[in-house]
Amino acid sequence: MFFVGIPAAAVLVIAGLAAAGSRGSGGGAKRYRPGRPFDFTPVWFLGRPEQLADSAGTALTAGAQASALTSRKQEQAGREAPASGTGGASDRW
Amino acid sequence: MEPEAQVTVGEARPETGTGTPPDVLDGPFSTRQLLRIDEALRLADQGTGLVFSVYVGGLDEPVREHAERLHRQLAEPDRSVLIAVSPNQRQLEIVTGKYARKRIPDTYVKLAALSMVASFGGGDLAGGVIQGLDQLASHAGKG
Repeated sequence: MFFVGIPAAAVLVIAGLAAAGSRGSGGGAKRYRPGRPFDFTPVWFLGRPEQLADSAGTALTAGAQASALTSRKQEQAGREAPASGTGGASDRW
Repeated sequence: MEPEAQVTVGEARPETGTGTPPDVLDGPFSTRQLLRIDEALRLADQGTGLVFSVYVGGLDEPVREHAERLHRQLAEPDRSVLIAVSPNQRQLEIVTGKYARKRIPDTYVKLAALSMVASFGGGDLAGGVIQGLDQLASHAGKG
């Protein structure tokens, strides 16, 4: 009994603590692991809401900006050809 | 079709009074990471006079064009720098506007992208974003 029950109880306690710790840490954030599917709500960070062409600062539908935003500038942004002079870089991991 | 992107505005969104957490908490970051990204964005904006923004979510093909469309949605595209990260596609796009490009040449943007993808490859999305913002703002200098 001692050789089975006590080790089994210790294992159960440690497993329970580990499960509780992993659930509680990081504010419930899901962990991203490269190469594995990662479901989350897309987010767009701006320093100030007025930095978006649609000054209402409401949620956007990614990939469908022309219908999601109503301001004239926004509609133009979806239609116009890419502005020359933009730069940047692309990369993969 | 991608799910709705939640636009965060640095400060906390207005409370709806329902007691429900803001939608941004359904995103890929914890509260602590959100605060760190917010701080990095604020410092980058204030330090450079440019407008930095970070999009984390799926990008439609061709991803570069989608990132440029997002960039054009910003109020001042010429002065703006958009960092677009698609974790599932493992793709990073950084778009600089006409004026921002003069402050941060593409060579330096590429260097920042390299260090960012190194963090992303290790599973650290928030760390990569913050590191990228810091590097881009450092290269841009004071506005």
